Amino acid sequence: MAELYVKPGNKDRGWNDPPQFSYGLQTQGSSHKRTPLTKRVAAPQDGSPKVPTSEPFTGTPPVGPPPLLTKTTGPPLGGNSSPLRVEPASSSVTCETMLEDVLGPLEQALEDCRAHTQKQIFDDISRRLALLQGQWKSEKLSVPVRKRMALLVQELRNHNWDGADDIHRSLMVDHVTEVSQWMVGVKRLIAERRSLPSGEAAEEKPTTTEENEVISSLSATL
Amino acid sequence: MATYLEFIQQNEERDGIRFSWNVWPSSRLEATRMVVPLACLFTPLKERPDLPPVQYEPVLCSRPTCKAVLNPLCQVDYRAKLWACNFCFQRNQFPPAYAGISEVNQPAELMPQFSTIEYIVQRGPQTPLIFLYVVDTCLEEEDLQALKESLQMSLSLLPPDALVGLITFGRMVQVHELSCEGISKSYVFRGTKDLTAKQIQDMLGLTKPAMSTQQARPVQPQGQPFISSRFLQPVHKIDMNLTDLLGELQRDPWPVTQGKRPLRSTGVALSIAVGLLEGTFPNTGARIMLFTGGPPTQGPGMVVGDELKVPIRSWHDIEKDNARFMKKAIKHYEMLANRTATNGHCIDIYACALDQTGLQEMKCCANLTGGHMVMGDSFNTSLFKQTFQRVFSKDFNGDFRMAFGATLDVKTSRELKISGAIGPCISLNVKGPCVSENEYGISGTSQWKICSLDPTTTLGIYFEVVNQHNAPIPQGGRGAIQFVTQYQHSSTQRRIRVTTVARSWADAQNQFQHIEAAFDQEAAAVLMARLGVFRAESEEGPDVLRWLDRQLIRLCQKFGQYNKEDPSSFRLSDSFSLYPQFMFHLRRSPFLQVFNNSPDESSYYRHHFARQDLTQSLIMIQPILYSYSFHGPPEPVLLDSSSILADRILLMDTFFQIVIYLGETIAQWRKAGYQDMPEYENFKHLLQAPLDDAQDIMQTRFPMPRYINTEHGGSQARFLLSKVNPSQTHNNLYPWGQESGAPILTDDVSLQARP
Repeated sequence: MAELYVKPGNKDRGWNDPPQFSYGLQTQGSSHKRTPLTKRVAAPQDGSPKVPTSEPFTGTPPVGPPPLLTKTTGPPLGGNSSPLRVEPASSSVTCETMLEDVLGPLEQALEDCRAHTQKQIFDDISRRLALLQGQWKSEKLSVPVRKRMALLVQELRNHNWDGADDIHRSLMVDHVTEVSQWMVGVKRLIAERRSLPSGEAAEEKPTTTEENEVISSLSATL
Repeated sequence: MATYLEFIQQNEERDGIRFSWNVWPSSRLEATRMVVPLACLFTPLKERPDLPPVQYEPVLCSRPTCKAVLNPLCQVDYRAKLWACNFCFQRNQFPPAYAGISEVNQPAELMPQFSTIEYIVQRGPQTPLIFLYVVDTCLEEEDLQALKESLQMSLSLLPPDALVGLITFGRMVQVHELSCEGISKSYVFRGTKDLTAKQIQDMLGLTKPAMSTQQARPVQPQGQPFISSRFLQPVHKIDMNLTDLLGELQRDPWPVTQGKRPLRSTGVALSIAVGLLEGTFPNTGARIMLFTGGPPTQGPGMVVGDELKVPIRSWHDIEKDNARFMKKAIKHYEMLANRTATNGHCIDIYACALDQTGLQEMKCCANLTGGHMVMGDSFNTSLFKQTFQRVFSKDFNGDFRMAFGATLDVKTSRELKISGAIGPCISLNVKGPCVSENEYGISGTSQWKICSLDPTTTLGIYFEVVNQHNAPIPQGGRGAIQFVTQYQHSSTQRRIRVTTVARSWADAQNQFQHIEAAFDQEAAAVLMARLGVFRAESEEGPDVLRWLDRQLIRLCQKFGQYNKEDPSSFRLSDSFSLYPQFMFHLRRSPFLQVFNNSPDESSYYRHHFARQDLTQSLIMIQPILYSYSFHGPPEPVLLDSSSILADRILLMDTFFQIVIYLGETIAQWRKAGYQDMPEYENFKHLLQAPLDDAQDIMQTRFPMPRYINTEHGGSQARFLLSKVNPSQTHNNLYPWGQESGAPILTDDVSLQARP
């Protein structure tokens, strides 16, 4: 589910800055499809460098076109589509990620923790969720961030704490500028929710009225 | 011999070990005649996904001067439940828990496939890992913002129960008290005056007897799940507040006038960090992570003054003894490094600036403690950000790849002694029967301490054969070495990894060809290189090169076949064929040639060379060069100017840089846009193939290399041209006017040159 992409490095600040890999690409490790490039060729012992088999270069000729594509010739393909090619952003979101879909479950989770969490931490998380709300509403969060937040709350709903944690990490690594102010609140929320004694949290009721109640009551306090 | 290559590879995969010689000359005299010393590259924590650790204590030899660990080389009497130590021949009783063992029911540590085995042991309370950030605030706004974000991000990567702390510095040094409520407080120190550890601890209030958390030994009172101090708090408790604190960090407020450098008190900041950890958490795994954007300009450890018109020292200045601050600064950082290593902590240096930052003076902090050294241009670069992320990378088990507080103890059979070790470690000064009088690297001991290590950290360990000439080959015909590494795993468990290896002795007179065939030229090259680089720290550059050349000549004399007076008849066997070119490229490498590098750059390259495993070290000595063309799959080619051809794409990996170079014809085709035409799709694939391979390398390498994508005639092509052997130069263009490959404009000597 994590996005796999490569961005170019920051050539303005660092000479020959390498490309930046997304969190998903880094954690999946290197693909084992390629053989490692570690072989060497011994220097010829008779003292002369190997004569190359291709045509010698003879000045600056106008060169003909490369070999045409035929069935069998040509270098072997890597197979997988490598993200080092610049690909357009992955599939455009068919439906807009709604703020309520993300904020609602988060606030619900926070509410579930109210009894077991220190007031100060509770307030701190609330404050950060409000920050999230504010940034979302003023269009400061990019599409990938919103998409991944939707995935995060889905994991949270399914009580898949490790999955939610991993998504939070991927957002912190890939989009730290956008999310750093409030993401630590989401991280703490996951941790608090995870540590709740099981069965105590209110069951997720899919009725919209209750969600709306929660949203309106919390936004009243913020 | 193909079988020896397999043997070497299997042993490396299983035990993390590569010997220069795999059949050992049986006398001291013969061993010295071999030129390359008997030595090994040893990776103590080599990643072994197939090796499950065992959950019991290792069985030790009962002789107090031995204490070797039970291993597959020991003779066992299953009926009498006795075992004979293969190092000292003491007979030992098995402990009661081993009552049920037999030939068909062996414990794991006796089975040959467990020549490397890992034990999980209970040794006192498990203390959490500690990360102390020491942050320079004399940065440009953009850099400081990027650094702050990286540090905030790192809080999500740290384990939740790890302790974290923050010290910021500029003209003053601020130690931040981390608390969850109210106003954030900090203790401010002047950056000009160094303080002793006791003074620091007093001023931070760490020595009040009333507070139980400030005891020297981290004692766990019942019911308290963790220990902390006001300055080092668990991540899960403090992450929100620390995120805010980091977000609010400002640039150093002291104004910097025109023509001046900012006053940066790195020396005092590090001193306070070391003293803080010394007073609160000695003898447990901790990282002091120094982030700096320029050289120290104030206080002890300053490397340059604050006048911009006086540049920071270059190699020329050092050679002319014109580096005013260097000796004193080195002394200051060496003192800190030794204290840190004694406490079992490590210091990382993340230095990002366009000019030098004083790595030459501070390098001992990373080298003695096993800490990282990262050098970049700015904190707002992918090179820094991703390298920093990779510090926290996890292995196949979801554990961090870092380990702490390792002690390596080496035992040898009687015919061998230990001459020393070269790597990111300090000596524990353990004398004993195994210790030789020779001095190779960190010598005079059979035990070293590596405060921080990862699965690729590799030490070079050098041995001396002490058997007298013409003494009979020892009974059993094999010599043995045991490596015992005790360490704190990143999960805070204490573990012991034991590797026991043996190799056959051979009489150099009648079994010369066996010794010759079992030579590992790759390991030998890296081990000799480490010796050379170690020497280069204290000797003059030309002397080191002369020494290296002399060793190569002696080796060729001993192992080459030739007819006198006929240079063209010289031949080396397969097991030596690559060795001369390794030495050739080593002489030209930035490890031994300081020309064209600043002192900081040389320190950076040498730091990484002295700790990497064999494959990566070899890449550093002689970069890998692969050629991509329409003629077939990618193939390795000679690192020579004759490999630079118009219709080839070259991929060069020097470890620190990945260079992709398009030959002239390829570049013209790309410019013409053939890759966009469907009928020339194979050309598109050809262009993509080296990019994909480069990505593969960059995805896992630490530190992140620079990435250079260039073509024939491009200015960046110099990275390739400076590395290849210049077999064609402007001096020796072939007389008939045609040249193959690209001539290199250099007066440097080529590999093929003859006197």
